[in-house]
Amino acid sequence: MNRKALAFLCWVRDLLFLIAGTTTLLFFLLRLAGDPAIVLAGPDATEEQLAAVRAEYGLDRSLAAQYVSYIGNLASLHLGNSLSDGTPALTKVLTAFPTSLLLASLAMLATLIVAIPTGVWLGARRGDPARTLVRWSLFLLQGCPAFVIALLLVQIFAIELTWVPALGYAGPASWILPAVSVASFLTPKLTRMIEANVSIALDSAYVRTARAIGASNREVLWRHALPNAMLGATALIGAQLAFIVTGLVIIETLFAWPGIGWLLVQSTTNLDFPVVQAITLVAVIAVFLINSFTELLQYWLDPRQRGYTQLDSEAAA
Amino acid sequence: MSAVIDSPPHRPADPRAVEWELWAGATLFGCILVLALIGPMLSAQDAQFIDLEHRFLPPLSTGHVLGTDQLGRDLLARTLHGLRWSFTTAACATALAFSIGTPLGLLAGRSRSLVGKTIRQVTALAQSFPVFVLAVSVVAIVGNGFIALAAILGLVTWPVFCRVVQAETASLFRREYVLAAGMLQMSSWRLYFSHILPGLAASLTVLVPFHFADMLIAESALSFLGIGAPLGAATWGNMLQESRSYLLNAPWIMLVPAGAVVILVITANLLGDGLRRRGQ
Repeated sequence: MNRKALAFLCWVRDLLFLIAGTTTLLFFLLRLAGDPAIVLAGPDATEEQLAAVRAEYGLDRSLAAQYVSYIGNLASLHLGNSLSDGTPALTKVLTAFPTSLLLASLAMLATLIVAIPTGVWLGARRGDPARTLVRWSLFLLQGCPAFVIALLLVQIFAIELTWVPALGYAGPASWILPAVSVASFLTPKLTRMIEANVSIALDSAYVRTARAIGASNREVLWRHALPNAMLGATALIGAQLAFIVTGLVIIETLFAWPGIGWLLVQSTTNLDFPVVQAITLVAVIAVFLINSFTELLQYWLDPRQRGYTQLDSEAAA
Repeated sequence: MSAVIDSPPHRPADPRAVEWELWAGATLFGCILVLALIGPMLSAQDAQFIDLEHRFLPPLSTGHVLGTDQLGRDLLARTLHGLRWSFTTAACATALAFSIGTPLGLLAGRSRSLVGKTIRQVTALAQSFPVFVLAVSVVAIVGNGFIALAAILGLVTWPVFCRVVQAETASLFRREYVLAAGMLQMSSWRLYFSHILPGLAASLTVLVPFHFADMLIAESALSFLGIGAPLGAATWGNMLQESRSYLLNAPWIMLVPAGAVVILVITANLLGDGLRRRGQ
Protein backbone atom coordinates (compact mmCIF):
# COMPACT_ATOMS: atom_id res chain seq x y z
CA MET A 1 0.00 0.00 0.00
CA ASN A 2 1.35 3.44 -0.75
CA ARG A 3 2.19 6.07 1.84
CA LYS A 4 -0.70 8.38 1.08
CA ALA A 5 -3.26 5.64 1.65
CA LEU A 6 -1.57 4.73 4.93
CA ALA A 7 -1.56 8.35 6.05
CA PHE A 8 -5.26 8.52 5.22
CA LEU A 9 -5.94 5.38 7.27
CA CYS A 10 -4.09 6.93 10.21
CA TRP A 11 -6.27 10.01 9.85
CA VAL A 12 -9.46 7.92 9.86
CA ARG A 13 -8.18 6.05 12.91
CA ASP A 14 -7.57 9.35 14.75
CA LEU A 15 -11.03 10.64 13.87
CA LEU A 16 -12.76 7.45 15.06
CA PHE A 17 -10.64 7.43 18.22
CA LEU A 18 -11.68 11.02 18.93
CA ILE A 19 -15.39 10.39 18.36
CA ALA A 20 -15.35 7.18 20.39
CA GLY A 21 -13.44 8.86 23.23
CA THR A 22 -15.72 11.89 23.42
CA THR A 23 -18.97 9.96 23.25
CA THR A 24 -17.82 7.36 25.77
CA LEU A 25 -16.77 10.12 28.14
CA LEU A 26 -20.14 11.84 27.84
CA PHE A 27 -22.00 8.54 28.23
CA PHE A 28 -20.28 7.59 31.46
CA LEU A 29 -20.24 11.11 32.92
CA LEU A 30 -23.98 11.33 32.45
CA ARG A 31 -24.47 8.04 34.30
CA LEU A 32 -21.90 8.75 37.01
CA ALA A 33 -23.54 12.04 37.88
CA GLY A 34 -26.70 10.37 39.12
CA ASP A 35 -29.96 9.41 37.47
CA PRO A 36 -29.61 10.41 33.80
CA ALA A 37 -33.40 10.34 33.46
CA ILE A 38 -33.54 13.44 35.70
CA VAL A 39 -30.91 15.21 33.58
CA LEU A 40 -32.61 14.16 30.35
CA ALA A 41 -36.15 14.97 31.42
CA GLY A 42 -35.29 18.11 33.34
CA PRO A 43 -35.48 18.78 37.10
CA ASP A 44 -39.24 19.47 37.12
CA ALA A 45 -40.27 16.19 35.49
CA THR A 46 -43.05 14.12 37.06
CA GLU A 47 -42.72 10.40 37.89
CA GLU A 48 -44.59 9.43 34.67
CA GLN A 49 -42.32 11.60 32.53
CA LEU A 50 -39.26 10.02 34.16
CA ALA A 51 -40.63 6.55 33.42
CA ALA A 52 -41.29 7.55 29.82
CA VAL A 53 -37.75 8.90 29.45
CA ARG A 54 -36.31 5.72 31.00
CA ALA A 55 -38.25 3.60 28.51
CA GLU A 56 -37.34 5.82 25.56
CA TYR A 57 -33.61 5.81 26.28
CA GLY A 58 -33.58 2.25 27.61
CA LEU A 59 -32.32 3.40 31.00
CA ASP A 60 -34.01 0.42 32.69
CA ARG A 61 -31.57 -1.98 31.02
CA SER A 62 -28.00 -2.89 32.04
CA LEU A 63 -25.15 -0.42 31.53
CA ALA A 64 -23.49 -2.56 28.84
CA ALA A 65 -26.75 -2.96 26.89
CA GLN A 66 -27.32 0.79 27.16
CA TYR A 67 -23.84 1.50 25.85
CA VAL A 68 -24.31 -0.78 22.82
CA SER A 69 -27.61 0.82 21.87
CA TYR A 70 -26.13 4.29 22.48
CA ILE A 71 -23.32 3.55 20.01
CA GLY A 72 -25.89 2.13 17.58
CA ASN A 73 -27.92 5.34 17.81
CA LEU A 74 -24.81 7.42 17.23
CA ALA A 75 -23.88 5.39 14.16
CA SER A 76 -27.31 6.11 12.68
CA LEU A 77 -26.90 9.80 13.68
CA HIS A 78 -29.76 9.59 16.17
CA LEU A 79 -28.69 11.96 18.93
CA GLY A 80 -32.09 12.38 20.54
CA ASN A 81 -34.49 15.31 20.50
CA SER A 82 -34.11 18.67 22.16
CA LEU A 83 -35.92 18.67 25.51
CA SER A 84 -37.04 22.27 25.10
CA ASP A 85 -38.83 22.08 21.74
CA GLY A 86 -38.68 18.47 20.59
CA THR A 87 -36.75 19.08 17.35
CA PRO A 88 -33.90 16.66 16.61
CA ALA A 89 -30.79 17.85 18.48
CA LEU A 90 -28.51 17.39 15.48
CA THR A 91 -30.75 19.49 13.21
CA LYS A 92 -30.77 22.25 15.80
CA VAL A 93 -26.99 22.25 16.01
CA LEU A 94 -26.43 22.10 12.25
CA THR A 95 -28.83 25.03 11.76
CA ALA A 96 -26.78 27.16 14.16
CA PHE A 97 -23.45 26.01 12.73
CA PRO A 98 -23.16 28.37 9.69
CA THR A 99 -23.75 31.40 11.93
CA SER A 100 -20.79 30.35 14.07
CA LEU A 101 -18.71 29.68 10.99
CA LEU A 102 -19.44 33.23 9.79
CA LEU A 103 -18.23 34.69 13.10
CA ALA A 104 -15.13 32.48 13.14
CA SER A 105 -14.25 33.46 9.56
CA LEU A 106 -14.73 37.16 10.24
CA ALA A 107 -12.59 36.86 13.36
CA MET A 108 -9.89 35.02 11.45
CA LEU A 109 -9.93 37.73 8.77
CA ALA A 110 -9.62 40.47 11.40
CA THR A 111 -6.77 38.57 13.08
CA LEU A 112 -4.82 38.26 9.82
CA ILE A 113 -5.43 41.91 8.85
CA VAL A 114 -3.93 43.06 12.15
CA ALA A 115 -1.34 40.37 12.83
CA ILE A 116 0.47 40.18 9.47
CA PRO A 117 1.39 43.87 9.00
CA THR A 118 2.11 44.38 12.71
CA GLY A 119 4.21 41.22 12.94
CA VAL A 120 6.20 42.05 9.80
CA TRP A 121 6.74 45.60 10.96
CA LEU A 122 7.95 44.49 14.40
CA GLY A 123 10.22 41.85 12.90
CA ALA A 124 11.74 44.18 10.31
CA ARG A 125 12.28 47.39 12.35
CA ARG A 126 14.57 46.22 15.06
CA GLY A 127 15.86 49.57 16.25
CA ASP A 128 12.61 51.51 16.09
CA PRO A 129 11.65 53.06 19.48
CA ALA A 130 7.93 52.80 18.59
CA ARG A 131 8.43 49.04 18.72
CA THR A 132 8.55 49.01 22.50
CA LEU A 133 5.18 50.73 22.65
CA VAL A 134 3.57 48.22 20.28
CA ARG A 135 5.11 45.29 22.13
CA TRP A 136 3.78 46.59 25.43
CA SER A 137 0.31 47.00 23.95
CA LEU A 138 0.47 43.41 22.73
CA PHE A 139 1.54 42.24 26.18
CA LEU A 140 -1.38 44.11 27.78
CA LEU A 141 -3.79 42.76 25.17
CA GLN A 142 -2.60 39.25 25.90
CA GLY A 143 -3.44 39.81 29.56
CA CYS A 144 -7.03 40.82 28.84
CA PRO A 145 -9.54 37.95 28.62
CA ALA A 146 -11.70 38.30 25.50
CA PHE A 147 -14.90 38.86 27.46
CA VAL A 148 -13.29 41.80 29.25
CA ILE A 149 -12.24 43.24 25.88
CA ALA A 150 -15.74 42.63 24.55
CA LEU A 151 -17.31 44.44 27.52
CA LEU A 152 -14.95 47.39 27.05
CA LEU A 153 -15.73 47.52 23.32
CA VAL A 154 -19.47 47.45 24.03
CA GLN A 155 -19.02 50.19 26.64
CA ILE A 156 -17.10 52.44 24.23
CA PHE A 157 -18.53 51.79 20.77
CA ALA A 158 -22.09 50.67 21.46
CA ILE A 159 -23.03 52.58 24.60
CA GLU A 160 -20.95 55.79 24.67
CA LEU A 161 -20.60 56.39 20.92
CA THR A 162 -23.64 54.34 19.76
CA TRP A 163 -21.91 53.51 16.46
CA VAL A 164 -22.87 49.85 16.44
CA PRO A 165 -25.51 47.72 18.20
CA ALA A 166 -24.53 46.24 21.58
CA LEU A 167 -25.91 42.81 20.76
CA GLY A 168 -27.83 40.75 18.27
CA TYR A 169 -27.25 39.38 14.82
CA ALA A 170 -28.72 41.84 12.33
CA GLY A 171 -26.57 42.90 9.44
CA PRO A 172 -22.89 43.74 9.06
CA ALA A 173 -22.86 46.57 11.64
CA SER A 174 -23.66 44.04 14.36
CA TRP A 175 -20.88 41.74 13.18
CA ILE A 176 -18.02 44.12 13.96
CA LEU A 177 -17.81 43.93 17.76
CA PRO A 178 -18.20 40.12 18.04
CA ALA A 179 -15.62 39.55 15.30
CA VAL A 180 -13.09 41.92 16.88
CA SER A 181 -13.66 40.34 20.31
CA VAL A 182 -13.04 36.80 19.06
CA ALA A 183 -10.03 38.07 17.08
CA SER A 184 -8.48 39.45 20.27
CA PHE A 185 -8.02 35.83 21.43
CA LEU A 186 -5.46 34.98 18.80
CA THR A 187 -4.01 38.27 17.54
CA PRO A 188 -1.27 38.85 20.16
CA LYS A 189 0.11 35.31 19.86
CA LEU A 190 0.04 35.30 16.07
CA THR A 191 1.68 38.73 15.88
CA ARG A 192 4.51 37.67 18.16
CA MET A 193 4.99 34.49 16.17
CA ILE A 194 5.15 36.33 12.83
CA GLU A 195 7.53 38.86 14.37
CA ALA A 196 9.90 36.14 15.56
CA ASN A 197 9.73 34.23 12.27
CA VAL A 198 10.31 37.33 10.14
CA SER A 199 13.31 38.36 12.19
CA ILE A 200 14.78 34.84 11.98
CA ALA A 201 14.13 34.73 8.22
CA LEU A 202 15.83 38.11 7.74
CA ASP A 203 18.98 36.67 9.31
CA SER A 204 19.00 33.55 7.18
CA ALA A 205 21.28 32.68 4.29
CA TYR A 206 18.66 32.74 1.55
CA VAL A 207 17.70 36.31 2.39
CA ARG A 208 21.38 37.34 2.29
CA THR A 209 21.65 35.69 -1.13
CA ALA A 210 18.55 37.52 -2.34
CA ARG A 211 20.07 40.81 -1.15
CA ALA A 212 23.36 39.99 -2.83
CA ILE A 213 21.55 39.40 -6.11
CA GLY A 214 20.03 42.86 -5.71
CA ALA A 215 16.54 42.37 -4.27
CA SER A 216 15.13 45.53 -2.72
CA ASN A 217 14.21 45.75 0.96
CA ARG A 218 10.54 45.54 0.16
CA GLU A 219 11.04 42.49 -2.07
CA VAL A 220 13.12 40.74 0.56
CA LEU A 221 10.50 41.36 3.22
CA TRP A 222 7.30 40.47 1.38
CA ARG A 223 8.51 37.92 -1.16
CA HIS A 224 11.17 36.07 0.79
CA ALA A 225 10.77 36.56 4.54
CA LEU A 226 6.96 36.68 4.92
CA PRO A 227 6.02 33.44 3.11
CA ASN A 228 8.43 31.57 5.31
CA ALA A 229 7.11 33.30 8.43
CA MET A 230 3.55 32.40 7.46
CA LEU A 231 4.34 28.69 7.42
CA GLY A 232 4.87 28.67 11.17
CA ALA A 233 1.83 30.89 11.58
CA THR A 234 -0.38 28.41 9.69
CA ALA A 235 0.65 25.71 12.12
CA LEU A 236 -0.16 28.02 15.02
CA ILE A 237 -3.61 28.80 13.60
CA GLY A 238 -4.28 25.06 13.35
CA ALA A 239 -3.09 24.43 16.89
CA GLN A 240 -5.11 27.32 18.29
CA LEU A 241 -8.45 26.46 16.67
CA ALA A 242 -9.71 25.08 19.94
CA PHE A 243 -9.00 28.53 21.37
CA ILE A 244 -11.24 30.13 18.75
CA VAL A 245 -14.03 27.74 19.71
CA THR A 246 -13.64 28.90 23.33
CA GLY A 247 -13.92 32.44 22.02
CA LEU A 248 -17.08 31.57 20.13
CA VAL A 249 -18.77 30.12 23.22
CA ILE A 250 -18.05 33.22 25.31
CA ILE A 251 -18.50 35.94 22.71
CA GLU A 252 -21.62 34.47 21.10
CA THR A 253 -23.28 34.32 24.51
CA LEU A 254 -22.21 37.87 25.32
CA PHE A 255 -23.59 39.27 22.07
CA ALA A 256 -26.62 36.90 21.82
CA TRP A 257 -25.21 35.67 18.50
CA PRO A 258 -27.32 32.63 17.51
CA GLY A 259 -24.48 30.19 16.81
CA ILE A 260 -23.50 26.91 18.44
CA GLY A 261 -21.61 28.60 21.29
CA TRP A 262 -24.70 30.52 22.33
CA LEU A 263 -26.79 27.36 21.87
CA LEU A 264 -24.37 25.43 24.06
CA VAL A 265 -24.67 27.85 26.97
CA GLN A 266 -28.46 28.08 26.54
CA SER A 267 -28.79 24.29 26.52
CA THR A 268 -26.45 23.94 29.49
CA THR A 269 -28.49 26.41 31.50
CA ASN A 270 -31.72 24.63 30.50
CA LEU A 271 -30.17 21.18 31.15
CA ASP A 272 -31.09 20.25 27.57
CA PHE A 273 -28.63 17.39 27.50
CA PRO A 274 -29.20 15.92 24.00
CA VAL A 275 -28.36 19.30 22.45
CA VAL A 276 -25.27 19.74 24.66
CA GLN A 277 -24.07 16.32 23.55
CA ALA A 278 -24.73 17.04 19.86
CA ILE A 279 -22.86 20.37 20.08
CA THR A 280 -19.88 18.76 21.80
CA LEU A 281 -19.67 16.12 19.06
CA VAL A 282 -20.11 18.58 16.19
CA ALA A 283 -17.51 20.97 17.69
CA VAL A 284 -14.97 18.19 18.24
CA ILE A 285 -15.39 16.85 14.70
CA ALA A 286 -15.35 20.32 13.12
CA VAL A 287 -12.16 21.33 14.93
CA PHE A 288 -10.52 18.05 13.93
CA LEU A 289 -11.50 18.51 10.26
CA ILE A 290 -10.37 22.14 10.07
CA ASN A 291 -7.14 21.19 11.80
CA SER A 292 -6.52 18.43 9.25
CA PHE A 293 -7.19 20.97 6.54
CA THR A 294 -4.56 23.39 7.88
CA GLU A 295 -2.10 20.50 8.05
CA LEU A 296 -2.80 19.68 4.40
CA LEU A 297 -2.47 23.35 3.55
CA GLN A 298 0.91 23.47 5.22
CA TYR A 299 1.98 20.35 3.37
CA TRP A 300 0.94 21.99 0.14
CA LEU A 301 2.60 25.34 0.96
CA ASP A 302 5.91 24.00 2.19
CA PRO A 303 7.92 22.00 -0.33
CA ARG A 304 10.17 20.69 2.48
CA GLN A 305 7.26 18.81 4.03
CA ARG A 306 6.33 16.84 0.94
CA GLY A 307 7.28 13.24 1.29
CA TYR A 308 7.18 13.67 5.06
CA THR A 309 3.97 12.36 6.60
CA GLN A 310 2.60 11.66 10.02
CA LEU A 311 3.89 8.10 9.62
CA ASP A 312 7.45 9.35 9.65
CA SER A 313 6.90 11.31 12.83
CA GLU A 314 5.33 8.25 14.46
CA ALA A 315 8.19 6.08 13.31
CA ALA A 316 10.64 8.61 14.74
CA ALA A 317 8.90 8.69 18.14
CA MET B 1 -3.17 26.89 26.37
CA SER B 2 0.32 26.05 25.25
CA ALA B 3 2.23 29.22 25.83
CA VAL B 4 5.55 27.49 26.41
CA ILE B 5 5.65 25.57 23.18
CA ASP B 6 4.20 28.14 20.81
CA SER B 7 6.13 31.07 22.12
CA PRO B 8 8.60 32.55 19.69
CA PRO B 9 12.25 31.89 20.41
CA HIS B 10 13.85 34.93 22.00
CA ARG B 11 17.26 36.25 21.30
CA PRO B 12 19.49 36.51 24.39
CA ALA B 13 17.99 39.42 26.26
CA ASP B 14 19.53 42.10 28.38
CA PRO B 15 20.06 40.44 31.80
CA ARG B 16 18.66 43.48 33.60
CA ALA B 17 15.43 43.20 31.60
CA VAL B 18 15.19 39.53 32.57
CA GLU B 19 15.54 40.30 36.23
CA TRP B 20 13.06 43.12 35.92
CA GLU B 21 10.30 40.95 34.50
CA LEU B 22 10.84 38.22 37.04
CA TRP B 23 11.03 40.57 40.01
CA ALA B 24 8.00 42.61 38.96
CA GLY B 25 6.01 39.42 38.46
CA ALA B 26 7.14 37.87 41.74
CA THR B 27 6.52 41.05 43.76
CA LEU B 28 3.04 41.56 42.32
CA PHE B 29 2.24 37.90 42.82
CA GLY B 30 3.38 38.08 46.45
CA CYS B 31 1.21 41.16 47.08
CA ILE B 32 -1.81 39.47 45.49
CA LEU B 33 -1.24 36.34 47.55
CA VAL B 34 -1.19 38.41 50.75
CA LEU B 35 -4.35 40.21 49.62
CA ALA B 36 -6.02 36.87 48.98
CA LEU B 37 -5.08 35.68 52.46
CA ILE B 38 -5.94 38.74 54.55
CA GLY B 39 -8.18 40.52 52.00
CA PRO B 40 -11.59 40.18 53.64
CA MET B 41 -10.11 41.64 56.85
CA LEU B 42 -9.06 44.81 55.00
CA SER B 43 -12.52 45.88 54.11
CA ALA B 44 -15.03 46.75 56.77
CA GLN B 45 -18.02 45.78 54.64
CA ASP B 46 -19.42 42.35 54.00
CA ALA B 47 -19.28 41.21 50.38
CA GLN B 48 -22.97 40.31 50.39
CA PHE B 49 -24.28 43.19 52.51
CA ILE B 50 -27.07 44.91 50.60
CA ASP B 51 -27.48 48.63 51.26
CA LEU B 52 -30.17 50.08 49.01
CA GLU B 53 -29.58 53.59 50.43
CA HIS B 54 -26.10 53.66 48.86
CA ARG B 55 -26.54 52.15 45.39
CA PHE B 56 -24.34 53.13 42.42
CA LEU B 57 -21.80 55.10 44.48
CA PRO B 58 -18.82 55.91 42.21
CA PRO B 59 -15.29 54.95 43.28
CA LEU B 60 -13.57 57.09 45.95
CA SER B 61 -16.83 57.69 47.81
CA THR B 62 -16.53 57.89 51.58
CA GLY B 63 -16.60 54.45 53.09
CA HIS B 64 -16.51 52.76 49.67
CA VAL B 65 -13.09 53.16 48.02
CA LEU B 66 -14.10 51.36 44.82
CA GLY B 67 -17.75 52.37 44.94
CA THR B 68 -20.88 50.22 45.22
CA ASP B 69 -22.95 48.18 42.78
CA GLN B 70 -26.63 48.10 41.85
CA LEU B 71 -27.59 46.70 45.26
CA GLY B 72 -25.28 48.97 47.25
CA ARG B 73 -22.78 46.17 47.91
CA ASP B 74 -19.20 47.33 48.46
CA LEU B 75 -17.13 46.64 45.33
CA LEU B 76 -13.82 46.45 47.21
CA ALA B 77 -15.16 43.74 49.51
CA ARG B 78 -16.64 41.83 46.58
CA THR B 79 -13.46 42.10 44.52
CA LEU B 80 -11.35 40.81 47.42
CA HIS B 81 -13.80 37.98 47.96
CA GLY B 82 -13.68 37.22 44.24
CA LEU B 83 -9.88 37.19 44.38
CA ARG B 84 -9.99 34.39 46.95
CA TRP B 85 -12.42 32.40 44.85
CA SER B 86 -10.57 32.86 41.55
CA PHE B 87 -7.15 32.32 43.06
CA THR B 88 -8.07 29.08 44.83
CA THR B 89 -10.05 27.67 41.91
CA ALA B 90 -7.24 28.40 39.43
CA ALA B 91 -4.57 27.11 41.84
CA CYS B 92 -6.47 23.87 42.56
CA ALA B 93 -7.20 23.30 38.87
CA THR B 94 -3.52 23.89 38.00
CA ALA B 95 -2.37 21.56 40.78
CA LEU B 96 -4.76 18.85 39.59
CA ALA B 97 -3.71 19.17 35.92
CA PHE B 98 -0.08 19.13 37.04
CA SER B 99 -0.42 16.04 39.21
CA ILE B 100 -2.27 14.06 36.54
CA GLY B 101 -0.30 15.26 33.53
CA THR B 102 3.23 14.93 34.94
CA PRO B 103 3.20 11.19 35.87
CA LEU B 104 1.38 10.30 32.66
CA GLY B 105 3.88 12.36 30.67
CA LEU B 106 6.80 10.59 32.40
CA LEU B 107 5.23 7.26 31.51
CA ALA B 108 4.46 8.20 27.91
CA GLY B 109 7.87 9.75 27.29
CA ARG B 110 9.61 6.45 27.98
CA SER B 111 7.20 3.58 27.56
CA ARG B 112 6.95 1.63 24.33
CA SER B 113 3.94 -0.28 25.66
CA LEU B 114 0.32 0.10 24.60
CA VAL B 115 -0.30 2.36 27.61
CA GLY B 116 2.45 4.74 26.53
CA LYS B 117 1.18 4.76 22.97
CA THR B 118 -2.39 5.43 24.09
CA ILE B 119 -1.31 8.35 26.26
CA ARG B 120 0.69 9.82 23.39
CA GLN B 121 -2.31 9.44 21.11
CA VAL B 122 -4.65 11.09 23.60
CA THR B 123 -2.35 14.06 24.22
CA ALA B 124 -1.75 14.55 20.49
CA LEU B 125 -5.49 14.65 19.85
CA ALA B 126 -6.16 16.78 22.93
CA GLN B 127 -4.00 19.50 21.43
CA SER B 128 -6.78 20.43 19.03
CA PHE B 129 -9.65 19.43 21.29
CA PRO B 130 -12.13 22.17 22.22
CA VAL B 131 -11.70 21.66 25.98
CA PHE B 132 -13.84 24.63 26.91
CA VAL B 133 -16.84 23.04 25.17
CA LEU B 134 -16.17 19.86 27.12
CA ALA B 135 -15.90 21.85 30.36
CA VAL B 136 -19.25 23.53 29.68
CA SER B 137 -20.99 20.26 28.87
CA VAL B 138 -19.54 18.57 31.96
CA VAL B 139 -20.80 21.45 34.09
CA ALA B 140 -24.21 20.70 32.55
CA ILE B 141 -23.98 17.16 33.86
CA VAL B 142 -22.30 17.39 37.26
CA GLY B 143 -23.46 20.86 38.31
CA ASN B 144 -21.50 23.91 39.44
CA GLY B 145 -19.71 25.02 42.59
CA PHE B 146 -16.13 25.29 43.74
CA ILE B 147 -15.10 21.62 43.82
CA ALA B 148 -16.85 20.76 40.55
CA LEU B 149 -15.30 23.75 38.80
CA ALA B 150 -11.72 23.13 39.96
CA ALA B 151 -12.04 19.40 39.25
CA ILE B 152 -13.47 19.89 35.76
CA LEU B 153 -10.87 22.47 34.74
CA GLY B 154 -8.05 20.26 36.04
CA LEU B 155 -9.44 17.11 34.46
CA VAL B 156 -9.87 18.59 30.99
CA THR B 157 -6.50 20.38 30.84
CA TRP B 158 -4.00 17.80 32.11
CA PRO B 159 -2.84 16.95 28.54
CA VAL B 160 -1.09 20.36 28.48
CA PHE B 161 1.32 19.17 31.19
CA CYS B 162 1.47 15.65 29.81
CA ARG B 163 2.56 16.86 26.38
CA VAL B 164 5.43 19.01 27.68
CA VAL B 165 6.66 16.40 30.17
CA GLN B 166 6.43 13.65 27.58
CA ALA B 167 8.48 15.57 25.00
CA GLU B 168 11.10 16.61 27.57
CA THR B 169 11.38 13.11 29.06
CA ALA B 170 11.86 11.56 25.63
CA SER B 171 14.61 14.07 24.83
CA LEU B 172 16.28 13.63 28.25
CA PHE B 173 16.44 9.88 27.74
CA ARG B 174 18.48 10.50 24.60
CA ARG B 175 21.11 12.55 26.46
CA GLU B 176 24.51 10.97 27.07
CA TYR B 177 24.47 11.33 30.85
CA VAL B 178 21.15 9.55 31.10
CA LEU B 179 22.28 6.81 28.71
CA ALA B 180 25.45 6.44 30.77
CA ALA B 181 23.49 6.19 34.03
CA GLY B 182 21.31 3.52 32.42
CA MET B 183 24.33 1.56 31.29
CA LEU B 184 25.81 1.75 34.79
CA GLN B 185 22.74 -0.17 35.98
CA MET B 186 21.25 2.71 37.89
CA SER B 187 17.78 1.69 39.05
CA SER B 188 14.80 3.23 37.25
CA TRP B 189 13.58 5.02 40.36
CA ARG B 190 16.98 6.58 41.02
CA LEU B 191 17.28 7.53 37.37
CA TYR B 192 13.95 9.33 37.45
CA PHE B 193 14.64 11.12 40.71
CA SER B 194 18.24 12.11 40.14
CA HIS B 195 18.25 12.87 36.40
CA ILE B 196 14.84 13.12 34.80
CA LEU B 197 12.83 15.14 37.33
CA PRO B 198 15.55 17.80 37.84
CA GLY B 199 15.77 18.07 34.06
CA LEU B 200 12.02 18.72 33.85
CA ALA B 201 11.94 21.33 36.60
CA ALA B 202 12.76 24.29 34.35
CA SER B 203 9.97 23.72 31.83
CA LEU B 204 7.44 22.88 34.51
CA THR B 205 8.11 26.05 36.54
CA VAL B 206 7.50 28.06 33.36
CA LEU B 207 4.36 26.14 32.46
CA VAL B 208 2.72 26.51 35.90
CA PRO B 209 2.20 30.32 35.87
CA PHE B 210 0.93 30.29 32.28
CA HIS B 211 -1.46 27.47 33.05
CA PHE B 212 -2.59 29.32 36.17
CA ALA B 213 -3.43 32.34 33.99
CA ASP B 214 -5.36 30.14 31.55
CA MET B 215 -7.32 28.54 34.40
CA LEU B 216 -8.08 31.97 35.83
CA ILE B 217 -9.50 33.13 32.50
CA ALA B 218 -11.44 29.89 32.01
CA GLU B 219 -12.88 30.07 35.53
CA SER B 220 -14.00 33.68 35.24
CA ALA B 221 -15.36 33.00 31.75
CA LEU B 222 -17.48 30.10 33.03
CA SER B 223 -18.79 32.23 35.89
CA PHE B 224 -19.41 35.05 33.42
CA LEU B 225 -21.53 32.68 31.33
CA GLY B 226 -23.51 31.88 34.48
CA ILE B 227 -22.46 28.23 34.66
CA GLY B 228 -19.37 28.34 36.89
CA ALA B 229 -19.74 29.86 40.33
CA PRO B 230 -23.09 29.68 42.13
CA LEU B 231 -25.30 32.58 41.03
CA GLY B 232 -25.02 35.64 43.26
CA ALA B 233 -21.68 34.64 44.81
CA ALA B 234 -19.07 37.40 44.85
CA THR B 235 -16.81 36.20 42.03
CA TRP B 236 -15.29 38.28 39.24
CA GLY B 237 -17.17 36.42 36.52
CA ASN B 238 -20.50 36.94 38.28
CA MET B 239 -19.72 40.61 38.96
CA LEU B 240 -18.92 41.18 35.27
CA GLN B 241 -22.10 39.40 34.25
CA GLU B 242 -24.24 41.52 36.59
CA SER B 243 -22.50 44.74 35.50
CA ARG B 244 -23.76 44.40 31.92
CA SER B 245 -27.12 46.01 32.65
CA TYR B 246 -25.50 49.16 34.11
CA LEU B 247 -22.77 49.91 31.56
CA LEU B 248 -24.33 53.24 30.62
CA ASN B 249 -24.75 54.82 34.04
CA ALA B 250 -22.32 52.95 36.28
CA PRO B 251 -19.41 51.66 34.18
CA TRP B 252 -17.23 51.19 37.29
CA ILE B 253 -19.30 48.14 38.27
CA MET B 254 -17.75 46.52 35.18
CA LEU B 255 -14.35 48.23 35.28
CA VAL B 256 -13.43 47.18 38.85
CA PRO B 257 -13.68 43.38 38.39
CA ALA B 258 -12.35 43.69 34.81
CA GLY B 259 -9.26 45.47 36.15
CA ALA B 260 -8.84 42.80 38.81
CA VAL B 261 -8.90 39.96 36.25
CA VAL B 262 -6.46 41.77 33.96
CA ILE B 263 -4.00 42.55 36.78
CA LEU B 264 -3.94 38.95 38.01
CA VAL B 265 -3.55 37.50 34.48
CA ILE B 266 -0.78 39.96 33.60
CA THR B 267 1.02 39.17 36.87
CA ALA B 268 0.98 35.45 36.06
CA ASN B 269 2.16 36.18 32.48
CA LEU B 270 5.02 38.38 33.77
CA LEU B 271 6.09 35.65 36.15
CA GLY B 272 6.00 33.05 33.37
CA ASP B 273 7.90 35.24 30.90
CA GLY B 274 10.50 36.10 33.54
CA LEU B 275 11.04 32.45 34.49
CA ARG B 276 11.29 31.44 30.84
CA ARG B 277 13.93 34.06 30.04
CA ARG B 278 15.95 33.16 33.10
CA GLY B 279 15.92 29.53 31.95
CA GLN B 280 17.41 30.45 28.58
